Amino acid sequence: MKTGLKIALLSAAGFVCLLLGMGVGSVSISISDMASIVRCQLSGAALPEGIPAITASILWNLRMPRAIMAFLTGAALAVGGAVMQSTLRNPLASGYTLGVSSGASLTAAAAILTGFTLPLLGRYTLALCGFLGGLSTVFLAIGLASRFDKNLENTTVILTGMVLSLFVNAILTVLTAFSHEHLQQLVFWQMGSFSGQSWQNCGVLLALLIPCLLVLVRYGREMDLMTFGEEQALSAGVELKRVKLLLMAVAALLTGSAVAFVGVIGFVDLISPHVTRRIFGSNHRLLIPMSALFGGAFMVLADLLARTIVSPRELAVGAVTALVGAPFFAYVYFGRRRSERDA
Amino acid sequence: MLELKNVCAGYDGVDVLHDVSCAFPPGSCWCVLGSNGCGKTTLLRAMAGLIPHRGQVLLDGREIDGMKRRDLAGKIAVMSQVNTVYFPYSVYDTVMLGRYQHIRASLFGGPSQEDRATVERCLAFTGLSDLRRRHLDELSGGQRQRVFLAQALAQDPETILLDEPTNHLDIKHQVELVDYLRDWCADGQHTVVGVLHDVNLALRLSHNALFMSEGRIVRSGSFAEITDAAFLQSIYGMDLSGFMRQSLEFWREIP
Repeated sequence: MKTGLKIALLSAAGFVCLLLGMGVGSVSISISDMASIVRCQLSGAALPEGIPAITASILWNLRMPRAIMAFLTGAALAVGGAVMQSTLRNPLASGYTLGVSSGASLTAAAAILTGFTLPLLGRYTLALCGFLGGLSTVFLAIGLASRFDKNLENTTVILTGMVLSLFVNAILTVLTAFSHEHLQQLVFWQMGSFSGQSWQNCGVLLALLIPCLLVLVRYGREMDLMTFGEEQALSAGVELKRVKLLLMAVAALLTGSAVAFVGVIGFVDLISPHVTRRIFGSNHRLLIPMSALFGGAFMVLADLLARTIVSPRELAVGAVTALVGAPFFAYVYFGRRRSERDA
Repeated sequence: MLELKNVCAGYDGVDVLHDVSCAFPPGSCWCVLGSNGCGKTTLLRAMAGLIPHRGQVLLDGREIDGMKRRDLAGKIAVMSQVNTVYFPYSVYDTVMLGRYQHIRASLFGGPSQEDRATVERCLAFTGLSDLRRRHLDELSGGQRQRVFLAQALAQDPETILLDEPTNHLDIKHQVELVDYLRDWCADGQHTVVGVLHDVNLALRLSHNALFMSEGRIVRSGSFAEITDAAFLQSIYGMDLSGFMRQSLEFWREIP
């Protein structure tokens, strides 16, 4: 199949997932009603007869920001995972490998336990704490790794990140053990959720995602070379240390921002790049935007399942990404390999 | 010309190379020989600027430490031995990566007509034109090594450094690879420096030999002129020439 057709199909699938995420739920909203509501909201016109105000409110204030936030979060996590896998030359690496999630969880937990709120930021305090915690952990991991190994070799970076991540997780476990009254809130944040998302959150994440995507596409060839090994990249002319630091910082920024808004959601960052590579190949100038598209669509579907499958209760979206993602990943990855072997 | 003057280099503050000086004139083909752990790979890595060094590694009179990696890549290519390919790349895309330093770094920039023509030439030179769409994980070890040779050639360098490029290859592919390199060097403008364990294969690549022992160059020059049985015994810790003669006797008996 031609690459252009594949891109068109994935884009269409992403759009359909978004429509499903917005239209399906306790109140079903048809596509034509969605179009009318969006048109009226944007133009300020009155709603047509037959569309209750509550339906418009559900779509505009709840479902749309939620679905769009899920899409942007999935895109950010998937791209972060793709960058980490290539940069660290490790198929199991993800945005969380260097401790983004544990760092974000620890600082968010500290904010929850102390009730700390910044005067101007209000409810964004938790997100900001999570973001800063995630980012600081990554830079701490890279800083420590560069002390041990001036060349910042991948194994050193991965091992330092994992050790730091385990250490931070241990502190979080101790904190959680002593905070019974906030236990539910802590656990909920650590499992991830898209409930209560706003247009403002979508705007902030989108404003971060777009420049990050452009930077990553620009550095696509460097990532291609880095997947063959550090010496290969160096001898081909890549300023390895500078590029690696830049790419890790961008990946941490993407993962940290996503985690900050919605909590810790795993798996999408691991599987999306692998599935996308199987469909589009490994060229990062295509892989990065396509991983974003796939990760976004996948996350919208996962959130849809999380809020509808045992309705009116809601499952943790992280559980759904793993439950749906694992067999899907196995089918795409190993099924394709088997068919290639048999061919 | 690539030249080393009093170079020391190593890992974690421990020198493996000690005061190494040598020069590789353009158009020459060299094999670096010596027993395991004598510093052959470290020499190559220092020459490519992959590890820090003391002393001088000069390329046309310029210290390579002060050069941008892109500029250095236009002069020296390293043919690595990539054993594990984690992600699926086609042969064509892999060879095109060799053009990295020639392609303008920008958001929308792509390979030029010249880049494509060079890649085609390198694919043809290494006999890979028919395999261009195949993924690396679908290739044999020998075909994969040829892909990385084509990638190094696509860099359009003046010098190619090779570190045991024939490992894991069967005899046919070993000979093929060495012959490709010898042909590339035959135009008198290109230089090849290869670390090879197999002395016969090394001699097929070139009769210019550089012998190393304990991080030092002990002899360099024409193989026949600088070696004798006692010297080879001291380098390899065995009677190498006796072993070769024994092998030759054996092969003479094969019809």
